[in-house]
Amino acid sequence: MTQNLTSMIYLGSAVLFVLSLLGLNHPDTARRGNFYGMIGMAMALAATLWAAGVTNWIMILAALLVGAVIGLFAAKKVKTTQLPELVALMHSLVGLAAVLVGLSSFLDLTKVLVGAEKTIHDVEVYIGIMVGAVTFSGSLIAFGKLLGSISGSPLLLPARHWLNLSVLVGIAILGYQFLNVDHDQALLYLFAMIVLSLFLGIHMVMAIGGADMPVVVSMLNSYSGWAASATGFMLNNHLLIIVGALVGSSGAILSSIMCKAMNRKFLHVIAGGFGTDTKKASTNPSQVLAGETTAISSLETAELLKDAKSVMIIPGYGMAVAQAQHTVFEISQILSNAGVNVRYAIHPVAGRMPGHMNVLLAEAKVPYDQVFEMEEINEDFKNVDVAIIIGANDIVNPAALDDPSSPIAGMPVLEVWKAKTSIVMKRSMASGYAGVDNPLFYKDNNRMLFGDAKTKLDEILQALKANL
Amino acid sequence: MIVGIPKETFLGEKRVAATPETIEKLIKLGFEVHVEPGAGIEANINDEAYLKSGAQIVSNISGSDIFLKVRAPSPAEIEKLKPGSTLISFIWPAQNPALLKLLCNKKINTIAMDSVPRISRAQKLDALSSMANIAGYRAVIEAAHHFGRFFTGQITAAGKVPPAQVFVIGAGVAGLSAIGTATSLGAIVKANDTRPEVADQVKSMGGSFVNVKVQESGSSQTGYAVIMSEEYQKAQRVVFAKQISEADIVITTALIPGRPAPKLITTEMVQSMKPGSVIVDLASEQGGNCELTVPGEVIKKHGVTLIGYTDLPSRLAKQSSQLYGTNLFRFLEEMCAQKNGVIHHNMNDEVIRGATVTFSGEITWPAPAVAISAKASEAKPEASTKEAHKKTEEKANPFVFIIAALLLLLVGLYAPAIFVTQITVFILACLIGYMVVWNVTASLHTPLMSVTNAISSIIIVGALLQTSSEDFWIQILSGFAVLLTSINLFGGFAVTKRMLDMFKKGS
Repeated sequence: MTQNLTSMIYLGSAVLFVLSLLGLNHPDTARRGNFYGMIGMAMALAATLWAAGVTNWIMILAALLVGAVIGLFAAKKVKTTQLPELVALMHSLVGLAAVLVGLSSFLDLTKVLVGAEKTIHDVEVYIGIMVGAVTFSGSLIAFGKLLGSISGSPLLLPARHWLNLSVLVGIAILGYQFLNVDHDQALLYLFAMIVLSLFLGIHMVMAIGGADMPVVVSMLNSYSGWAASATGFMLNNHLLIIVGALVGSSGAILSSIMCKAMNRKFLHVIAGGFGTDTKKASTNPSQVLAGETTAISSLETAELLKDAKSVMIIPGYGMAVAQAQHTVFEISQILSNAGVNVRYAIHPVAGRMPGHMNVLLAEAKVPYDQVFEMEEINEDFKNVDVAIIIGANDIVNPAALDDPSSPIAGMPVLEVWKAKTSIVMKRSMASGYAGVDNPLFYKDNNRMLFGDAKTKLDEILQALKANL
Repeated sequence: MIVGIPKETFLGEKRVAATPETIEKLIKLGFEVHVEPGAGIEANINDEAYLKSGAQIVSNISGSDIFLKVRAPSPAEIEKLKPGSTLISFIWPAQNPALLKLLCNKKINTIAMDSVPRISRAQKLDALSSMANIAGYRAVIEAAHHFGRFFTGQITAAGKVPPAQVFVIGAGVAGLSAIGTATSLGAIVKANDTRPEVADQVKSMGGSFVNVKVQESGSSQTGYAVIMSEEYQKAQRVVFAKQISEADIVITTALIPGRPAPKLITTEMVQSMKPGSVIVDLASEQGGNCELTVPGEVIKKHGVTLIGYTDLPSRLAKQSSQLYGTNLFRFLEEMCAQKNGVIHHNMNDEVIRGATVTFSGEITWPAPAVAISAKASEAKPEASTKEAHKKTEEKANPFVFIIAALLLLLVGLYAPAIFVTQITVFILACLIGYMVVWNVTASLHTPLMSVTNAISSIIIVGALLQTSSEDFWIQILSGFAVLLTSINLFGGFAVTKRMLDMFKKGS
C-alpha cells in the first residue's frame, strides 16, 4: 500500500474522531458518535497493519487479543460509581504506552537523522516520554485516591512549590545534557528524567484535595492527549498529532469548566493544597452560625414529599457512595405518578468526575429531560416545595454567596435554601471535602435527615408506597 | 410547675393564650396547666375541650407559677399574680413604663413576646409575625366586606367586571400577608416599602413592587424600617398620590418601632380616590398612616371607607390563639430544655434575655441590641468587583498574540520542513478540538472523557509500527505498549457505549 493511501485513510479516521466528539453535543446523537470513534479506530488499525513493514503478526495479534479481553471485561464489570477510578486507571495506561513508544523510538537506530532534525526529534522523544511518565504516575495516584486506598486529603510537603520547580529545572538540565552526549549516555539521562517525571506526577496529584478530583481527572485526560500528540511529532505521524490534540484540548476545556464551577484558578488547583487555609473559616461576627439544626425522620420526609407540588432532587457524591440512585429513581417515579413535578438539579462538580451524577442517574434510567444543570435551574428554586439533597454539601453551601471570608466564596452553588423546605440527607454533621461549615443546615426551612442515604431512602420509598 | 391561663379581661379581646393543642404540648414538657373557666369561650374553645386536652379548669388560678396572657395585664390582673412568678404576654414596654414598674414591684419575671429579638433562631417564637400575618389577612377580608365589588375581574353574560386594584404600603409580614390574600382573591396588587430588598418578597407573593426612585435604603440593623430623609419622603408622596388615586383598596402597614406611625396618606389623597374605595389602616393603634383614620372604628369620609380596627387578630380569635399559643409553647420549650416541667430563666441566652423586661425585681428593658441583617449591605460591593473581574478576563491579551507570532516566525526560520507541517496540523487540530468540545453538553462530560480516553489509544499505531523492528528490546517494549493501548482501546469504547446506552429520554 502506498504511503499516500495510508495517509488518506488516516485522514478519514481523524475526521471520524472529530465527528465522534461532535456527536456528544446531544444524548440522542452520542451513541452514533461513539460508533464513529470505533470505525475511525478500526480504520486506523487496519491501515497500519496493512502498511508495509508490519511483520511481527503473532505478537501483535496476541497483544491485541489479551488487551481486548482485559479491556472488555473491565468495561463490563465496572460499577457506574467506580467510573472515575476506571477512567483514571486507563489514563495511566496511555501514559505508560507513551513512555514505551518513546523509548522504543529512541532505541531505534535504523533511522539516521542529523542537525536540526535530530535535535527536534530528540526533544520530541524527551518531551513525549516526560508527559507520558507524569500522566502515568499521576493517574495511578488519582486512581488510588478515588479508590480510597490513598487518603483524599492533600499531602502538603513543606516548600512543595519550590520542590516542583526544582524538579522541572532538573528535567530541563537533564534534557540539555541529553541532547549533547552520545547515544548510550543519553539513555542514562533519559532514565533519570523518567524517575524525576514519575516523582513529579506523584507529588502533584498527592497535593490535590479530594474535592478537586474532577479537575485532576480531566487534567490527566488532557495530559494523556498531549502525550499522544508528542508521540505523533516524534514518529512524524499526523493522525497521532491530530488525535492527541483533540484529546488534549478536550481535557483542558473540561478542566477549565470544572475550575469555573468551583470558582478556582486552574494553577491554584494544580499547585495543590486546597483545604489548608480553610481552618480559620469565618470570623465575621454576623456569620457566626447559630448552632441549631432541625432533624426530620424518614416518615416525615415522605409526608413532605407526598404533599409537595414540586420536588427537586440534588444528588451528590454521597448518593454515589451509597449506590442509592435506583431508590431515588423509584421515589421520583412514585411521586411523578402522583402528579408531583420531580426534577433533578446537578452541580457541575458534584461527584468525583465531570458529569458523574448524570451517568449515575442515567444508569438508574432517569430520563435525561428531567435532569437539569445548575444554570438552567437555579432561578427555579423559589417555586420548589421540597429540595432534597442527597449526600452533597459544598455545592449547596450558601456561605459561598454570603460570606466573603469563606474559602469557597464566589463558587456558584445550587440555591436550595430558596425552596420552601430543604432536606439534607447526611451521615453526620461532618463538613464537606472543602472542610467548610454549612450555614444551610441551620436555616429555619432546612431539615436534616441523618443516616445512610440508601437506608433512609428505602424507608422513604416504603412510606410512600404505603401511602400512595 | 403550674401554667395558668387566665381569661382575657381587655374589652373586646377574644383571643386566649392557649388552645387544647398547645396545652397537650405543654403537658408533654412536664407542666401542669390550669385554665380559668370560660377562658377560650370567645375563641370558640369551650372548657370541655380544655379538659380533654389534659388541663384542669380552676376558678382561681392565682397560685400558678407561670402565667400565659395575650394582652398586657391591667393593674387588677397584676394584683392576682403570685409574686416571683413568670408572666409571658404582650407588654409593649416602650409604651407602658408604668406597667413595668408595677410588675417589677410585684417581683414578677416578665417576658414580653413583643420584645423577642428578630434573629433566625427566634422565628418560631415570633408572635408579632404570627399576629401580623393574621392582621394582613383579616385586613383584606374586612376591605372585601366593605368594598362593593368583586376582587377578581370577570367577563359575564351580564357584562364585564374589572379586577380590584389593591395598593399595599409596607411589605412587612402583615403587608406580605395582605398581598398574598388579595392576590389569591383575584385582585391586582401593587406594593411599596422603604426597604428595597423586599421587592423580591413582594413579587413572590404575586404583587408588583412600586419603586420610589431615590437612592436610600430604609432597613436598619434590626431588620425593621427607619425614618427616611425629607427628599425621599417628597418623592414617596408623589408616588403614593398617583398609586392611591388609581387604587380601589389601600392597605397600610407602615410602622417604625417605638414611634407614632408615619402619616403617609393625606386628606387630598383620600379625596382623589373613587367613591366606594376602602382604606384599611393597620397602623391605627399607633395613630394611623392616614390622617383621617379613627383608631378602632370604621368611618366614611369623602365617599371612602376608612377601617381603623385595632383588633384585627382578635377578629380571627381561634386562629390567632392557636398561633400565639404555639409561639408561647416554643418559648417555654426554650426555657425548659430538660422537659421536666421546670423553667430555667437563663439570662445569658440572647433570645430569653432580649424578651425579659423585668427580672428579680429589676427592670431589664431595653436589652442590649443584637444585630442581624448586616449581610445585605456587604454583598453588593463584592458583586460589583466580581463583574469588574470578569471584564478584565474577557479582554484579549495582545502579548499572547505577539508571543505566538514570534514563536511561529522562529519555527518558520529554523525548523525543518517536516516539523512545520507537523506544527500546522497540531495547531489546527487543537482549534478543532477546542470548538467541538465546547459544544459538548455538560451531562455527557463523563462519556466525553471516556471516549477521548479511548481514542487516545491511537498511540497504538506508533507501537504497531515499532513491533517490526529488528531490535529485541524494541519489540518487547512496543509489544507491551500494544497490549496496554489495546486494553484502553477496547475497554474505553465499550465503557462509553455502556454509559451512552443508559441515557434515554423520558416518555
